[in-house]
Amino acid sequence: MTQILVIFLGAIFVNNFVLSRFLGICPFLGVSKKIETATGMGIAVTFVMTLASIMSYMVYEWILVPLQIEYLYTIAFILVIASLVQFVEMVIQKTSPTLYQALGVYLPLITTNCAVLGVAIINKNEGYNLIETIFNGLGGALGFTLSIILFAGIRERIEKNQIPLPFKGFPIALITAGLMAIAFLGFQGLL
Amino acid sequence: MNIIKERLKNGIITENATFVQVLGMCPTLAVTTSAKNGLGMGLAATAVLICSNVVISLVRKLIPSKIRIPAFIVIIATFVTLIEFLLEGYVPALYASLGLFIPLIVVNCIILGRAEAYASKNSVWASLFDGLGAGLGFTLSLTTIGIIRELLGTGKIFNRPIMPASFEPALIMIMAPGAFFTLGILMAILNKYRFRNAKN
Amino acid sequence: MNEIFKMGLILCAITLLAGFSLGSVYEITKEPIAEQKQKAQQVAMQAVLKKAERFEMTDQAMDETQEVKEIQIGYQGDQIVGYVMKVVTKGYGGEIEMMVGMDQDGVIEGIKILRHAETPGLGAKAQEQTFCDQYANKSAEQELWVTKSTPTTEQEIEALTGATITTNAVTEGVNTALKMFEEKIK
Repeated sequence: MTQILVIFLGAIFVNNFVLSRFLGICPFLGVSKKIETATGMGIAVTFVMTLASIMSYMVYEWILVPLQIEYLYTIAFILVIASLVQFVEMVIQKTSPTLYQALGVYLPLITTNCAVLGVAIINKNEGYNLIETIFNGLGGALGFTLSIILFAGIRERIEKNQIPLPFKGFPIALITAGLMAIAFLGFQGLL
Repeated sequence: MNIIKERLKNGIITENATFVQVLGMCPTLAVTTSAKNGLGMGLAATAVLICSNVVISLVRKLIPSKIRIPAFIVIIATFVTLIEFLLEGYVPALYASLGLFIPLIVVNCIILGRAEAYASKNSVWASLFDGLGAGLGFTLSLTTIGIIRELLGTGKIFNRPIMPASFEPALIMIMAPGAFFTLGILMAILNKYRFRNAKN
Repeated sequence: MNEIFKMGLILCAITLLAGFSLGSVYEITKEPIAEQKQKAQQVAMQAVLKKAERFEMTDQAMDETQEVKEIQIGYQGDQIVGYVMKVVTKGYGGEIEMMVGMDQDGVIEGIKILRHAETPGLGAKAQEQTFCDQYANKSAEQELWVTKSTPTTEQEIEALTGATITTNAVTEGVNTALKMFEEKIK
């Protein structure tokens, strides 16, 4: 039980996917101009990352390991994620048009979000069991959501301020992210 | 001959993946703790870029456009795994320090981007140099960031002491926040330069 | 329907081709990879127990302390000259994996950090030779502990500046190895 809590909290705060592991930087910088879109992206990623953790665990333990082709994990995982994203997109489209309207645009982007492939590989490397895998995936995704929403909040305010011209856009966003990373350094040694 | 020059210049300067297109940010920030890691990551990505561009250009007429993206991803993943084997077998030190980010080359947007935007529409020869150009541009950016962070964070470049003994290394530069700061400030400097040119 | 079938077939063909080509490359690189791992392990063991010529893994039951991962016996000819233990402890940034080498009387010959996630420039300095050398010649008679000033007794280890937790972790690992020696080997 403690082990699971440690993995879960560790994935959210200590090894925050964006600010300390550098996973999922593209959507972090790309869709964080407004809190609303950031929240949408966060929810979509949480959904896909948790499912992808479970699916890739099953594929690895039940298909790759018995066939002794563990070394094909990169291809297997990326195929799992790509088809999972397609599948989720179709299901949401059929069952809940409102949810599809809210998340639809983000879903295709998630295939190439390295946080998703990253969490699958981290689970494999750490040798987590199914329960630990789920909590690591969920925790990592919540950490991503937390940081992208905080970041979007800061960026919304920055927009209203005067910034030296060369710093407009990406440079100031990166420096903001750096300051957030310093804050998250405070969580190190927590667990 | 012209196409070679044009493609190389395009990849390294005009459409530099890191500073102009802002693609492939994850490895750019994560592995540039030293010049050597930046260079290693850049070269590994370059190798994958060249191979995948050539193969995708070769088979571009055989793949129906509806399934091109999954097909490209499989081709890219194949070469990434190949590079992973080679690094693990022959350059274990680099393999250990790049770690997770070797398999993650698969989802590096630069590679899928070049496949989709260039290799799937152009000849093998041109695609090869397009891959080489984009790869070298990426390598150059990563090595530059690596040099700056290593110099400020440890006082060394390529593991050789450069700074005088009185220099107190700023540890933060080789930790996570330093990555964001370095890239942000480099981009601001480039922007300033660009704006000044635009004004004239 | 026919089109979907055709596209599926093409994707399958690509994936199969990719799988087979990787399979063959894997067969080729399998040996160098295993060799590299073997070599790295050998170099690390040699570094902490210099006089041993070859090592043999024991099948010592390790269930009680999860921290000691393996014990290797070092031989010089047929003579046992010492032991190398692979120990895992919890540092500041995550697990620290290290090798502890000791002679047949339980006196430390050397230690080496294999894997760690400590803060660069602070805790990561635990990898440096000057720090590791502090542990040489310490014996299993008494537990080691960490001090923040210059060590005055045999059993004290000077903490790394700004990384007391890391120093504690490494010392803990060495103590675990020494205890293992006292209980199981001696």
